Amino acid sequence: MRAYDMTATEISQRVHRKEMSATECVREVADRITALEPLVGAFLHLDVQGALNQARAIDALSDDERQQMPLAGVPVAVKDNMTTMDMPTTAASKILEGFMAPYNATVVNRLKAAGAIIVGKTNMDEFAMGSSTEHSAYQLTHNPWDLSRVPGGSSGGSAAAVAARMVPIALGSDTGGSIRQPASYCGVTGLKPSYGRVSRYGLIAYASSLDQIGPLARSVDDVALLYDIIAGYDPLDATSIRAETARVSEGPVDWKGLRVGVPKEYLSADLGGVVAQRLQDVITQLEAQGASVLEVSLPHTAYAIATYYLIAPAEASSNLSRFDGVRYGYRASGADLLEMYENTRAQGFGPEVKRRILLGTHALSAGYYDAYYLKAQKVRTLIRQDFEQAFALVDVILTPTTPDVAFRFGEKSSDPLQMYLSDVYTVTANLAGIPAISTPAGLADGLPVGIQWLGPVMGEDRLLQVARGFEELWPSSTWPGLGGEA
Amino acid sequence: MNSGYDVIIGLEVHVELKTQSKLFCSCSASFGAEPNTHTCPVCLGMPGVLPVLNEEAVAYAVKAALALRCTVHPFSKFDRKQYFYPDLPKAYQISQYDQPLAEYGAVPIIVDGHVVKEVTVRRIHMEEDAGKLNHLGIRLGDAKGSLVDLNRAGVPLIEIVSEPDMRSADEARLYLTELRNVLSYLDISDLRMEEGSMRCDANVSLRPHDYVGSLEDLPRVEIKNVNSIRNVQRGIEYEVARQAELLARGERIVKETRGFDDQNGRTYSQRSKEEANDYRYFPEPDLPPLVLTQEAIERVARSLPPAPTVLREELQQAGVTAKEAEIIVGDRALWEYWREATTHYEDKRQVTNWILSDLSRLLNAHGDTWLTPRVTPAALADLLRLIANGTLSGRMAKEVLDRMYESGATAAQTVEAMGVSQITDHGAIQAVVQQVVADNPHVVQDYLNGKEKALGFLVGQVMKQTKGQAKPDMVNAILKGVIADYAKT
Amino acid sequence: MALSEIQVKHVARLARLRVESDEIAQITQDLDRVLEYVAQLSQLDTDTVEPTMHVMGLAMPLRADEVKPSLPVDAALKNAPDPRDHMFGVPRIMDGGDA
Repeated sequence: MRAYDMTATEISQRVHRKEMSATECVREVADRITALEPLVGAFLHLDVQGALNQARAIDALSDDERQQMPLAGVPVAVKDNMTTMDMPTTAASKILEGFMAPYNATVVNRLKAAGAIIVGKTNMDEFAMGSSTEHSAYQLTHNPWDLSRVPGGSSGGSAAAVAARMVPIALGSDTGGSIRQPASYCGVTGLKPSYGRVSRYGLIAYASSLDQIGPLARSVDDVALLYDIIAGYDPLDATSIRAETARVSEGPVDWKGLRVGVPKEYLSADLGGVVAQRLQDVITQLEAQGASVLEVSLPHTAYAIATYYLIAPAEASSNLSRFDGVRYGYRASGADLLEMYENTRAQGFGPEVKRRILLGTHALSAGYYDAYYLKAQKVRTLIRQDFEQAFALVDVILTPTTPDVAFRFGEKSSDPLQMYLSDVYTVTANLAGIPAISTPAGLADGLPVGIQWLGPVMGEDRLLQVARGFEELWPSSTWPGLGGEA
Repeated sequence: MNSGYDVIIGLEVHVELKTQSKLFCSCSASFGAEPNTHTCPVCLGMPGVLPVLNEEAVAYAVKAALALRCTVHPFSKFDRKQYFYPDLPKAYQISQYDQPLAEYGAVPIIVDGHVVKEVTVRRIHMEEDAGKLNHLGIRLGDAKGSLVDLNRAGVPLIEIVSEPDMRSADEARLYLTELRNVLSYLDISDLRMEEGSMRCDANVSLRPHDYVGSLEDLPRVEIKNVNSIRNVQRGIEYEVARQAELLARGERIVKETRGFDDQNGRTYSQRSKEEANDYRYFPEPDLPPLVLTQEAIERVARSLPPAPTVLREELQQAGVTAKEAEIIVGDRALWEYWREATTHYEDKRQVTNWILSDLSRLLNAHGDTWLTPRVTPAALADLLRLIANGTLSGRMAKEVLDRMYESGATAAQTVEAMGVSQITDHGAIQAVVQQVVADNPHVVQDYLNGKEKALGFLVGQVMKQTKGQAKPDMVNAILKGVIADYAKT
Repeated sequence: MALSEIQVKHVARLARLRVESDEIAQITQDLDRVLEYVAQLSQLDTDTVEPTMHVMGLAMPLRADEVKPSLPVDAALKNAPDPRDHMFGVPRIMDGGDA
């Protein structure tokens, strides 16, 4: 078995048992990345040499020290909106071209402490604004299942790298679905934890009250493994939760005792045929296992997109103000300060980012704040309450992750609003702060279909257990063949 | 009161808190370091970083709020105030907008030791300071641009906003004086206006007597960043005159921001924008609300030192006049000097006299402050004891104090070095007196004939012969006795 | 609530984004469509609803007042486009204003 076919769990076990060195693992993985990257375009920055150096350092440790590292020798890819001191961090924006952060994101430090080897930074929609990774200022990332299609976004590079078996695990960030939607499009598993579970320190903010970092992997066990590493209180993030992270349960899920809610509002006419059909198949399967599948109501679902597209751009407009050409990043010329500001930001940001900055600035401006931002935060309360009521009746909620499968390049990017509307199933988890996981549910016409499981706040443990149970019921048996391989 | 209009003044005072570290990061908050040596990713506004609130800054702000008799809210929140400027790294300032830390306090206006009025403190909120711009060339706008130093960015501030309760430049001065006085007892800030650790913006408007609208609607001029209490007063005085003249000419007063030029004592227009600032405040998503328990607030309340008003009363009960109490309490270092001196020497009246007259004169002459007096309270007490036990006359003591101030020596050392000490030996004085009487029979006769002044001459002669060391009341008594004896002969 | 080009220009100025005259119509149209869509929120009666400013309902954690080392000044200025004398150079400031 080649290292790139292994899960993170397998790699670390072999490294712990000295059946494989971290260096061997990284070398094999690096060879595969080098071969496939021209096709996939998952990475904005690769550091093979740095990865090999890290691997040698892991190999040089004592057995005891290595045993303490749950990710010893495991190659990992990190979305390019998390800061790394030894690689550039650009958030796929021209305005941060070449930016070398003098600090690591907390998750990066946690990965390193766990023995993981960061091989590179993955492509994304600029500042995580988008659902296709087409809004990267640098390159397109191709869906490994069909290179003419998008990998989803904004964590498209991370999802594609995992699906293409360039890395077993990767970090993404999710503000309105940016982990789950690309996970779904690329046929991998992606978890958005409860808000505050994972430190945001070093995550370049898009919408601070919605952003969460989470894991992507080819198995639920790997998602859980990576989640265990990155979750936990961080004194550098005032919104991080102090609660202990429950160790993800190993035991099998008891389908017979499980109440699965399916929100009637999510099964609307917008839902594409293949996805609706697959969801029905899944429900049938679950019922066959003895789970009780109940209809639940999330009555404010119809308002979720509108709510999200006020809150997120408003916060983004504020978060992205610091990119002003003064202390770091791109600076355009200008005869005076005002001109420099306006030119820098006009040239440094891409069109989608500018659109959201303008929208958000408007939503916060004098005379509009109450009608837009404040109103949206109130509706957010109603959406949160919808979930609280639903979770009084069911243990998990099952939904599609996306209305459709991966689309072709350029297919949706011409109409911003249409693109926004496809986030309908994912934004609610961010608005409510609850955990959500997208798991693959087979292929349709050769393209992955994902389903989403939502849990109550702090309910990651149960959610991962259910996802693992589902993975056993519905295993992903094949991975995309790339570069002529099987 | 001016005829035709009332002067309406409200003040916004920023006070830098002297915590060890900044408000939202662990960089040093100290003043005067080399440019950008007190910076980190957080206060540089780098991408992805997050603020974490400084516990001590909250404690200081609560102290200030309680000392200014505000209600401290158990629940307050932080907001982002957004504008672009190179000294503001994130392009937003983390401040408190609609739910500030504290509201509705008061600052007394004190004239001749008496409270004549109270100015309402509308609110106190916490916020972070901006960095500093150094303009290349002579002024803002020169072609070479500006250089940004972010050492000060993120230093904790409290902003204390008054109601527009003041009606003259003098009241504004008295408000600021008392405000600074109250805060000075809390050890929370250097309160140095010249260094910017206390800054004041003054809002000035004139309300015609026939005006019926709200104060909010009056065209208001904001005088920004004046660097001393004296200049705040001057700026307001100028501004009142300027606006009065405009009104007299029937012209409109424009709402604008003005600077103050302390060279010519005038305010000048900084900007009068067609569009008002739109700060797009919204709740800071990176910081949960600040929750203070009643218990925590009460704990701070119990740790507060007595308020200046209380201290002034205590002094008056100790026999200090209202006017003197105002002076002493008005300078915390002076009050501490007084308090220590009175623990060393019981006669508080005497201590007060010496501190406010001779010691103050010496301090002024040497350009010193009560923070660094060259005569310690204990040394002053020793000196006063030498007067009490008759070793020194008052006049001699003044000379000794002068020398002590120069040399830093104790009273006893100085007396010894100067070779002075009062002659209190009856026989020694009597001998000199008899000699003087014998040498001046005509003067003695003048005195006996009713010329009271003649006695003064004779006393002077005695003092001259004793080099001023004879105890004056003894000289007087003995002289009268000797003359009486002389008259009988 | 149709958006005017003048409003878009105003917002662009607030956001310090230069918008070219040939872009303004398209931008206005894009924003207008989104605003038209989000206007559906006004259908909901939220008079008695508290906004969710912080989804987890946490209280502010506080940090001890301790100084930790700052960045070396070279690291602080490493990414600066115009470092001068250990400071960040900016072009001349013409309006003195901030908005």
